[in-house]
Amino acid sequence: MGPALPIPTPTPAPQGAGTRLRTRAAIELRDLRKRYGEQEVLRGVTLTVERGEKIVLCGPSGSGKSTLIRCINGLERHDGGTIAVNGVTLEADGRGVQDVRREVGMVFQHFNLFPHMTVLENCTFAPRQALGLSAAAAAERAMHHLARVRIADQAGKFPAQLSGGQQQRVAIARALCMDPRIMLFDEPTSALDPEMVAEVLQVMEELAAQGMTMLCVTHEMGFARHVADRCVFLDGGEIVEQAGAERFFVAPESDRLKRFLRQMLH
Amino acid sequence: MTFDFALAWTSLPALLNGAWMTVLITVSVMAVGAVLGFGMCLVRMSRNRALAAIGAAYVAVFRGAPSIVLLYLVYAGLPQLSIVRDTPLWLLFASPLFCAILGLGLNHSAYVVEILRGGLSAVPAGPVEAALALGLPPRIVFVKVRLPMAVRYGLKAYQNEVLIFLKSTVAVGAVTIADLTGAANEIFAMTYDPFTPLVTAGAMYWLLTNGLRLGFEALDRRLNRHLAATVPDRRPATVRRSRPGLSLFRQPLVRRLPAKPAARETH
Ligand SMILES: Nc1ncnc2c1ncn2[C@@H]1O[C@H](COP(=O)(O)OP(=O)(O)OP(=O)(O)O)[C@@H](O)[C@H]1O
Ligand SMILES: [Mg+2]
Repeated sequence: MGPALPIPTPTPAPQGAGTRLRTRAAIELRDLRKRYGEQEVLRGVTLTVERGEKIVLCGPSGSGKSTLIRCINGLERHDGGTIAVNGVTLEADGRGVQDVRREVGMVFQHFNLFPHMTVLENCTFAPRQALGLSAAAAAERAMHHLARVRIADQAGKFPAQLSGGQQQRVAIARALCMDPRIMLFDEPTSALDPEMVAEVLQVMEELAAQGMTMLCVTHEMGFARHVADRCVFLDGGEIVEQAGAERFFVAPESDRLKRFLRQMLH
Repeated sequence: MTFDFALAWTSLPALLNGAWMTVLITVSVMAVGAVLGFGMCLVRMSRNRALAAIGAAYVAVFRGAPSIVLLYLVYAGLPQLSIVRDTPLWLLFASPLFCAILGLGLNHSAYVVEILRGGLSAVPAGPVEAALALGLPPRIVFVKVRLPMAVRYGLKAYQNEVLIFLKSTVAVGAVTIADLTGAANEIFAMTYDPFTPLVTAGAMYWLLTNGLRLGFEALDRRLNRHLAATVPDRRPATVRRSRPGLSLFRQPLVRRLPAKPAARETH
């Protein structure tokens, strides 16, 4: 499921406040920069994710993967460069953030379910509060997505009563309930016991097969090979190399990626 | 010194009257404390430095001063100001009950500010970020995610504070209000028996505080039923590990959840 639409070459358009980029890309990052105090965490990242494309992002700890993902939906403010999601520009001062968040769903490493709400309430909360759905309509939508991640039978339970894998699948369903066009994943299986990784990856693969645009931080090589159109290697806040999954893992070009892959296999 | 049951019985109506006043003041102070405490907590946590400083000063003053001093200040001190004495505010400040509720309420609200602030800062970032990432407006995220979680974190501390200030309401005697202790004192003055009325009053305080405690525990069970469901397995490790067939008693493989939420240890 590669990029199906002809891609207009991104012209270095003038970037004023409130600019709407007329591109077809799902996510367009140009020279994205982010610093924490003195430390420069993203040093000019340029990345385009086409609609329907699945991208796996990997890199050593501290390379800025989470920061990159979190800048895209405005959980972190960027300091320089531009972010556009489905043509909506996210300004460095936070303007446009609500519009961008409507377009993207996010799944976290630690699930981050609302502990005081049942599984069903976790899923109906945002549609009711942000989209104004009625309780019945929100519940119907929630049950549809819970069934999609095969956890509809646990709808009445609280998160603390579920296993990690189940919680992560609920978190995916919760994000899907807002009908995002794009899904961001930040190491969705890293906090899971090994036997629960597969059930979450399977749900993600199904989502990919249904055409969802995905930007996924993960070190699951199997998943990357099955699903990714492109693998991107981030190191020291820069994109060092990107390639299709096969070439990425089998014939990496840069020494840094080679070293990283060697370490991962150990 | 003996307990005079007949005297206890005849003084019951007067003591119950006093107890009613104590309950009325407690409930009113709780209401004042909730409103002022919530408002001042927002001020205290404001990103605006000046506002935050005002909030900090509020806490320092009203938590630092003994409630009886605050009572005197509100009752006798404020009416010295012309803005109170020469305006309709006087109608309020002429009432000892109003002054008592305000004085105690200021003190209590300062504690509420700190309890709520502690609860709010204990809320982990994760669920809050998840709610924001779903596109919920920050105001709703605060009201529906952060605040409910903070209230749960702060409930035990709040319960302690309420039980302590319930007993500190005896200070209202200083502004001529006849509460439970006042009523007991009056009976003592009339009968020269200190023991009977004060012990009876003590028993009533005990009933009040424990009634309140039971109420808080019920509230805690209700708010935290999402935790009660996950009972930590407290059986000894040896039993937990052993295979069911090998142990002396049949152990169900999957530990069944108790029908009622398990009683959590009360501290
Ligand atoms: N809130 C913060 N304040 C200061 N520094 C931060 C903050 N968040 C991240 N950093 C720093 O930014 C760098 C990149 O962090 P980031 O979490 O994006 O890395 P990562 O690639 O996701 O790593 P990991 O694989 O461990 O999750 C790190 O050096 C980290 O210490
Ligand atoms: Mg990370």
